Amino acid sequence: MKLSKIGSAVIGALLTLGVQAAANADDAIETLGGMHKMAAVDWPTIPQTGPKADQVKKTLEKIKMPDGFHIGLYALVPDARHMAVGPQGVVTIVGTRKTKAYAVTDRSRSGVAEDVKEFAPSIPKVLPNGPCWSKDGFLYIVEQNRILTYPAAEFFYESPDVAVGVVVPEGKLIPTSEESYNHTARECRVGPDNKLYVQLGQPYNVPPKEKQALYKQLGIGGIIRMDQDGTHREVYATGMRNPVGMDFNPKDKTLWANDNQVDGMGDDIPAGEMNHITKMGQDFGFPWYGGGHTRTKEYMDQTPPADIVFPEVEQVAHAADLGLMFYTGNMFPAKYKNAIFSTQHGSWNRKDPIGARVMVTFLKDDGHVAGPSIPFAEGWNENGHYLGRPVDVAQSWDGSLLVSDDLVGAIYRIWYDGK
Amino acid sequence: MNIPPPGCCKVIASYTSFALFAFCVAFGTSVYAGGNITAGREKAIMCDACHGLDGHARMPEVPNLAGQGEGYILHQLHSFKSGERKNEQMAIIVQSLTPEAMQDLAAYFSAIEIKVVKVPGE
Repeated sequence: MKLSKIGSAVIGALLTLGVQAAANADDAIETLGGMHKMAAVDWPTIPQTGPKADQVKKTLEKIKMPDGFHIGLYALVPDARHMAVGPQGVVTIVGTRKTKAYAVTDRSRSGVAEDVKEFAPSIPKVLPNGPCWSKDGFLYIVEQNRILTYPAAEFFYESPDVAVGVVVPEGKLIPTSEESYNHTARECRVGPDNKLYVQLGQPYNVPPKEKQALYKQLGIGGIIRMDQDGTHREVYATGMRNPVGMDFNPKDKTLWANDNQVDGMGDDIPAGEMNHITKMGQDFGFPWYGGGHTRTKEYMDQTPPADIVFPEVEQVAHAADLGLMFYTGNMFPAKYKNAIFSTQHGSWNRKDPIGARVMVTFLKDDGHVAGPSIPFAEGWNENGHYLGRPVDVAQSWDGSLLVSDDLVGAIYRIWYDGK
Repeated sequence: MNIPPPGCCKVIASYTSFALFAFCVAFGTSVYAGGNITAGREKAIMCDACHGLDGHARMPEVPNLAGQGEGYILHQLHSFKSGERKNEQMAIIVQSLTPEAMQDLAAYFSAIEIKVVKVPGE
């Protein structure tokens, strides 16, 4: 196992700490970072059968998709948010906006996960929404104000004690003064350059002007990147409000990201955004623009920078685009290869609720979109009452599509057999 | 329905009308009759995505409202509207709420019956 990526402080703990129960998060990280065992913890599995599972399966009968696609219950996972499928396809790590992350395993490779347990239960977590993997098996989980790495997590997750290291210590991702529950569900990706990319939402609907300089400098309301050990942090993209969901185009290595736009301007404005980040340093227009080409009232008196990049796709207003991934599998028909699957969590403040669906966006050979995003799987929005709210999409080892749902507390699997 | 504590009556009435205030003084605790539960349920559709139509929160940062005190809910709604209490989402929601709608919503969520099933340590 490579320990080189783990912070030196943690490795130092190897020499000094004995076997003990840790009283707090720092102690736990140091203890486990030193590869020592924690005291036994209560570590229940999440039941996968019963009335709730039956109800979810019934709901899924209402979901409409193109011909030949099918959807089934993959796992019940409480508060399931963003997902990361392990590089070996063994375990899927699932984040939440509460205090737990989960490890979901389909041991028999049957398309249904029979084993769902909390991931790293001895490490206290705060809003561990965003997991992502490096190709060589390092798991990262971005929390509200911390990033931890779990080396070889696909091996260690079977034990309540995992190997762990600190990438960004608690309180160093953003200033603690800017911590908020609002827009704090973070996502990460390890890029083709092997750097760790992290989305940082800014906490306001429209931020006050006195925050403008600080947020731009730190990449709050944008995307930052850093080496996998937390060094060389830099702001990669700015001008975003609450970016959630991003992925790299495997063909041209450019980054695509959703951004969730201003509330309270009306039911049909401003547009949601799918942005195409082609190089470092681009500005995507917030707070001057509340989404698409709609100016915010609060910043009407400022002249926006001339080189603002407008969204590649304008999404329907308030639908809450949260998950985004490029499809690289072989299970789906050829036209889906290198298409973008994304999710719309569903609006909370629109007169007629919209969203709660999985979208697909096709790209042309030149790397731009062929048209708007179109619904791929829908039916969770039943006359404005949500039967489920899709959060994230992830590609499973066999090319099927996993969809998380934090309202139901479930992960679905969409597969194709042409029938 | 919850019985409001003494003194709560005046606070609530001051948001509505002098007539209700007079009613309050005369009849004590029954002042919350201002809220219409059925109308509240219809309006509560807008609360569904976060608080749940059943008053059980759908999101981690959102409180349960089922069985919550009617006066408490009403006071919080008015506090959001006045800006005394700040929340990015609720600041937007209350823009569309009339004082009557607030009463109806408070009456509806308060009227949801809940049962305590398990208390840790008991």
